[in-house]
Amino acid sequence: MKKAANNKIQSIVRACRIILRMIEADPNTRHSQKMYYRMLLQYYTRLRDARENGQFIAAHTVFFPAEILLAMDIIPMHTETTTWMTSLFTGECGDILAAGARLGMATEICAPHRGMAGAFASGALPRPDVMVWSNMVCDNTAKSGELVMDICGCPGFFIDRPFKDSGLEKTYMAGEIRDMIAFLEDKSGKKMDYDRLSTIVERMDRQIELTRQVNELRKNVPTPFSPLGFLELLTIDYLFPGQPESIEYLETLKAELEEMVKQKKGAIPKERFRLMTLFIPPMYLMSFLEKLSVESGAVSVIEPFFTFWGEGRLDASRPVEAVVEKAYMIPETRMYGPLGESALEAIKKCAREWKVDGAVYYADVGCRHSCATIKLFKDALAEVDVPVLTIDCDVVDQTVTSEEEVRDKMERFFELLEDR
Amino acid sequence: MLSIGIDIGSLTTKTVVLNNGRFLASVVSETLDEAEISAQVAMTKALERIDADEDPLRFVVTTGAGAKGVSFSDRSKAITTCLARGIAYCVPEARAVIDIGAESSTVVKTNERGKVLDWANHDKCAAGTGIFLQQMAKLMKLSFEEMSELSETASKGADITGTCAVFAESEVISHVHRVPPTPMPEIILGIYLSVSSRIKTMCKRIGANEKIALSGGVALHKGLVRTLEKEIGQPLFVPDDPVCVAALGAAVLAGEEIQKETAQ
Amino acid sequence: MYDHQNKHNSQPRYTPLKTLEVFKAVNRSFPHTDEINHIHDQGGKVFGWLCTYVPEEILHAAGILPVRITGYDRETDLDDGNAYLYMNNCSFSRSCLQMGLTKEYAFLDGVVGGSTCDGARRLFDLWRQYIGTPFHHVLTVPRKYTENAHSLYLAEVEMFKTHLEDHLEIKITDEELMGSIELYNQTRSLLRELYNHRKKPNPPISGSEVMEVLDACFRMPKESFNHHLKKLLQELDGSQNAYSGRARLMLSGSVLANPDFISSIEQQGGLVVADELCTSTRYWGDMVEVQPGEPPLKALARRYLNNYPCARMFPSEERFRRIIETAREFKVDGVISEIIRYCVPYSHDLPLLTKRLADINIPVLSIDLEYGSSGSGQIATRVQAFLEMIEAKK
Repeated sequence: MKKAANNKIQSIVRACRIILRMIEADPNTRHSQKMYYRMLLQYYTRLRDARENGQFIAAHTVFFPAEILLAMDIIPMHTETTTWMTSLFTGECGDILAAGARLGMATEICAPHRGMAGAFASGALPRPDVMVWSNMVCDNTAKSGELVMDICGCPGFFIDRPFKDSGLEKTYMAGEIRDMIAFLEDKSGKKMDYDRLSTIVERMDRQIELTRQVNELRKNVPTPFSPLGFLELLTIDYLFPGQPESIEYLETLKAELEEMVKQKKGAIPKERFRLMTLFIPPMYLMSFLEKLSVESGAVSVIEPFFTFWGEGRLDASRPVEAVVEKAYMIPETRMYGPLGESALEAIKKCAREWKVDGAVYYADVGCRHSCATIKLFKDALAEVDVPVLTIDCDVVDQTVTSEEEVRDKMERFFELLEDR
Repeated sequence: MLSIGIDIGSLTTKTVVLNNGRFLASVVSETLDEAEISAQVAMTKALERIDADEDPLRFVVTTGAGAKGVSFSDRSKAITTCLARGIAYCVPEARAVIDIGAESSTVVKTNERGKVLDWANHDKCAAGTGIFLQQMAKLMKLSFEEMSELSETASKGADITGTCAVFAESEVISHVHRVPPTPMPEIILGIYLSVSSRIKTMCKRIGANEKIALSGGVALHKGLVRTLEKEIGQPLFVPDDPVCVAALGAAVLAGEEIQKETAQ
Repeated sequence: MYDHQNKHNSQPRYTPLKTLEVFKAVNRSFPHTDEINHIHDQGGKVFGWLCTYVPEEILHAAGILPVRITGYDRETDLDDGNAYLYMNNCSFSRSCLQMGLTKEYAFLDGVVGGSTCDGARRLFDLWRQYIGTPFHHVLTVPRKYTENAHSLYLAEVEMFKTHLEDHLEIKITDEELMGSIELYNQTRSLLRELYNHRKKPNPPISGSEVMEVLDACFRMPKESFNHHLKKLLQELDGSQNAYSGRARLMLSGSVLANPDFISSIEQQGGLVVADELCTSTRYWGDMVEVQPGEPPLKALARRYLNNYPCARMFPSEERFRRIIETAREFKVDGVISEIIRYCVPYSHDLPLLTKRLADINIPVLSIDLEYGSSGSGQIATRVQAFLEMIEAKK
């Protein structure tokens, strides 16, 4: 057995193994779900051993184009995901947030970013060779890199993703990515392999296409995909963008869902409420929410900001431009640019086409830019007669809301839906 | 068959008895340690008030804290659903109800059939609740009635902007100890304004803009009602028995359940 | 024992500044000032701008009176703002939105902002949707100073100018732009002169008084502002006023426009002599320098992107460098960082900024507050302790 490092990646690896052992023993588990956990295990094992294997580690923030890192054979560390997994699987969320506070970070800074700084400072996360980040999708992602550079004493590069989507702005972002490639080549001593990047982009295009097809299947009544399955779709894009594992996972999932649709089988025994999920549910409540879904017959069928990709294809012959294009197609980036008719139309379209009964907005207290859209979205959804439940919570900080509170609100909401 | 609604609040338990939509009795009793006993005591007291020759069969709907655990309850319903039905029964023209309870405040937007369209509640913090007003009354050594009366003489109200009960309380304390101290009426109006502001935000969030009714014990707090009306910019409907609106709604829902069962 | 109370109270030579009353009157009556009423009576237009990355000169050259959107000048209940922007957006954006929703900005013929931070961009999303101002424009503002960033920003500024021209059906000439640049540069150098007074060991004007001047600067036509500011400077030249305090302080952090907040620090004996606020030094700090033969728009875009930076810019070291420069220039003993709750860019910078300032022996007092705050008992206590700490070091 490998010697456990001081950092907490080993606890994620251990947790993934335990979960995998559990679900592999369960004959009812989706095969794709087993694949998903194997992917997590692979990602964190690779990260855990990277230092020993003499590999170059780049820490990066959410929605950062990790395709570039993978094409250069650099080991990516998705900071937000890794932070919340660390806090979830070690039960040390409070300690990590406290470490962030000791650095002088205000409690208004969202827990994932406060925790991230805390996790680097306390050594819970391994020290990266470089920190790379972008302002996709909020001020926190824009601002968190420099403190990490300071804590870890490593160089860094910031990708400036412009606000709107004009041609000039996309050209600017392509320039940013080229500058970052030069930076990474300089720091890592590795050369960018553009053919490899093209292959990754080509697969990424396929990945998006498969995600769209999976979503099409979710339109069926009853819906075939598990209540919180969308988090798998989100995570594979975070951790394995354009990787063969993602394609294999999605193809398996798609086949499974097709089979269920053929058999007219739903993901949960009795589908009563078809939900739209807006923003991320608290990670520590996942198993509870899963249970509640089954009990109450409520299932998330579409997530306009997580799984509902923007239109367009990625052109593998111009891989850098394609990476930029993807940055504008990622579902959540709908929230980044000027939030006008197109985003509101996308939500309404999702509500209609996926036959949504109600929407649940997980209002993360630390997330300003998303909470500021609640009123806009609520008004838009009212036009298509979809009520919205708002749950005040925090993605990682367990002190903000409890199971009982969420259950109470959900039950009231289901009662409202039923009463209609 | 009697339809009985029981609302188990954090301080008091309310019971309303209806027969085929006809009002028979309502009772408010203290909430005891266990929901089961509170509900039992409240229901017994209510039944004592009605004629012995009323139908002995009953359908019980409970709501509030621990409502699900009451053994003799036939259904438990969410407080929001109960408030909507209750207000539609006693104030049919209302399209929203503001409920200020002891530990939480809720605004429910309803339609003409007493169905919930949306709601907002404030339960993270005591600011904007009955308990908060009670604490403030205690702090200033005044009764609710005295507070109400004093507030009438206030001009603009002291600034109390703390978004949390603890901060609001410390602001009140600093007004009291200021040299010279802020006049009592101004502090009271300031407290009312801070509660009203919270309620107003909830109304706005769900678009409860007109025909708003008030429920909960705080509705009897005249000074607050006046301030709230001024802040919201329209008169509020105050039912004859604002305390029992949710229990009434539970009784209405019990009636609906009876009808559903007979129809089957 | 050093009796600061006594010392603070013994400022006998203080005579009120007459010109200051003009500025205060504008601030009190805004937006119903004589000048704004006059402009509207004549069929002129008034536009609101939100952030220092909006090149005001373009609006001026288009014959518009630009005024700054600053929300309520006090801490107040923000129920409309809360309902639309939720509680976790900064109270500055909630304050501005609330004034918009309650029609207090109905006098504006247009609004212009930049994609500077989450609060600002969401404020505009909601403004567009719920407040019927006839003209909206949000400029993409890059976060870097690279050559590419400058080209992009220049293109954005050009697009803004075209949008404005199309909307008003006019053409803005280079001569008009040059004229506006000259006028605004004059404002900048006059404000520089005003700030030079603050470098004195005993400045003739207090920090809160300077804030009154700046607030008026956002609300008056620059022509008349410059005129009055010149008069104020003359007054100061002949003034015997001399403020003293327990320590020379600099303000740093989020947007701040309430003079009472500065007053509350000064009442504790703090001598507020400098700042890096976007309502102040970051607004007027840098001149627009048009190179010979250069289109004025290019000079304008360069200046606005290179300006004394907001915490949104990268790298943050540039902001830290300028803060240190200002701190030295004004010989400050301590920095008060005031950050509006949920103002993420400044919150993120604070740990590093505190470190950089500690390296040059300047302590930082960090205060978090709501926008419009006029200071509280708690803040006063902390300022007092901070001043005592500085005195003990001296």
